[in-house]
Amino acid sequence: MNDATVQLILDNLWPMLKATVTMTIPLTIISFVLGLVIALLVALARISSIRPLSILARFYISIIRGTPLLVQLFIVFYALPQFGVIIDPFPAAVVAFSLNVGGYAAEVIRSAILSIPKGQWEAAQTIGMGYATTLQRIVLPQAARVAVPPLSNTLISLLKDTSLASTILVTELLRVAQLAAAPTFDFFALYGVAALYYWVICIFLSAVQGRLEARLDRYVAR
Amino acid sequence: MRRTLPAATIAVLTALSLAACGSSDSGPVIDQVRASGVLKVGTEGTYTPFSYQGADGQLTGYDVDVARAVGDKLGVSVEFTQSPWDSLFAGLEAGRYDLVANQVTVNDERAERYDMSTPYTVSEGVIVTRADDTSITSLSDLAGKTTAQSATSNWAQVARDAGANVESVEGFVQAITLLKDGRVDATVNDNLAVGEYEKQTGDSGVRVVADTGDTSEQAFAARKDSGLIPDVDRALEELRADGTLAQISEKYFGTDVSSPSSGS
Repeated sequence: MNDATVQLILDNLWPMLKATVTMTIPLTIISFVLGLVIALLVALARISSIRPLSILARFYISIIRGTPLLVQLFIVFYALPQFGVIIDPFPAAVVAFSLNVGGYAAEVIRSAILSIPKGQWEAAQTIGMGYATTLQRIVLPQAARVAVPPLSNTLISLLKDTSLASTILVTELLRVAQLAAAPTFDFFALYGVAALYYWVICIFLSAVQGRLEARLDRYVAR
Repeated sequence: MRRTLPAATIAVLTALSLAACGSSDSGPVIDQVRASGVLKVGTEGTYTPFSYQGADGQLTGYDVDVARAVGDKLGVSVEFTQSPWDSLFAGLEAGRYDLVANQVTVNDERAERYDMSTPYTVSEGVIVTRADDTSITSLSDLAGKTTAQSATSNWAQVARDAGANVESVEGFVQAITLLKDGRVDATVNDNLAVGEYEKQTGDSGVRVVADTGDTSEQAFAARKDSGLIPDVDRALEELRADGTLAQISEKYFGTDVSSPSSGS
């Protein structure tokens, strides 16, 4: 690596960090939280005994899992304007990513809920708990523990998928690297730095996952 | 050079435009531009020296300067939106901006789909090989060789017509990398992009061995029937007459590439 390359990297550590903090991370967190809300609703609809609701949920999951994320981004950003709905790049990215997470995480949450033995529902009913209370007090706390590892995967995938947001004009981490590298043709040095940034965030997320698992395990009898 | 739209993008766009026939019309774009005083231009921002981020972090480059000069002539300010090439035309069609300025080569497909301005750049195709490779000295030597090209670019067609096997890549940098790594034998691209690469990197591992004899012309692209092009063309004509185009070209290429007669 020559001096010019080193200088290029040094010059861009800060702009790339800035893009990470102002774009990549907020995009990941906001989309993940909204996505989880969607996912919970979809998962409940999917296991509900009301047929139309469960069919609708299946349909949604099928579309999200059956189409590439890039196409979903393009549809939200480039197709909606043709129907008069113009959304700015960042909110458009949030919409597309949340819907995407919603589809994938719904299946995670559904399987986590189904992993809780039927007896737990029945026991709760016996002592007079309704559906909502049972779900909130008995089932979801136990399901959360099961869901943490796969949901962490979803979150980590989402973090890396945000690099696709550059295609809908969001100047996120990878895009900043490309912009800075283009005049010098020294792409691979800055791609390396970008990779490092993504990796560091993932290490942090994995650590959080570990803590969360330990915490949710506290009251589990083994 | 300049890659055409990747097939996937075209597929999506076709699906979308089918789904959205009869999009809202609010008069010719030129009226909106006049009224708002802003000409919105889409460009890559990663394509040196046509459109890139200067040392000061600001957008600069040949196409950027020409677009700004056109804005001056029209008496409006120019606002740039940066987008990867893959979605540059999708953004144009979705009305995110009104003009694409990114060394867009004029070809039949594009002329049919978009309103193209008069060309303001002329480039020539050249063949690049590894410096130690002496087996390719002309276009006909590409027969049976492997070249790296953006699959849908005009240069890929040139290479194919010469009998080369074409490996598809995303852009110029990937093509050069494959070439240097010995994975392909050559790449065909335009002299301006290759020249800038050599100037910037001082790379002695690759060299230009021959001209393809093909020239291509680059222009602004606007949506069909936007009404923008007559005004843009008039501005370009004035800029050509008063020497501004030649001057911008000199600044970035050291030579005048803005008209056919003066190309290198």
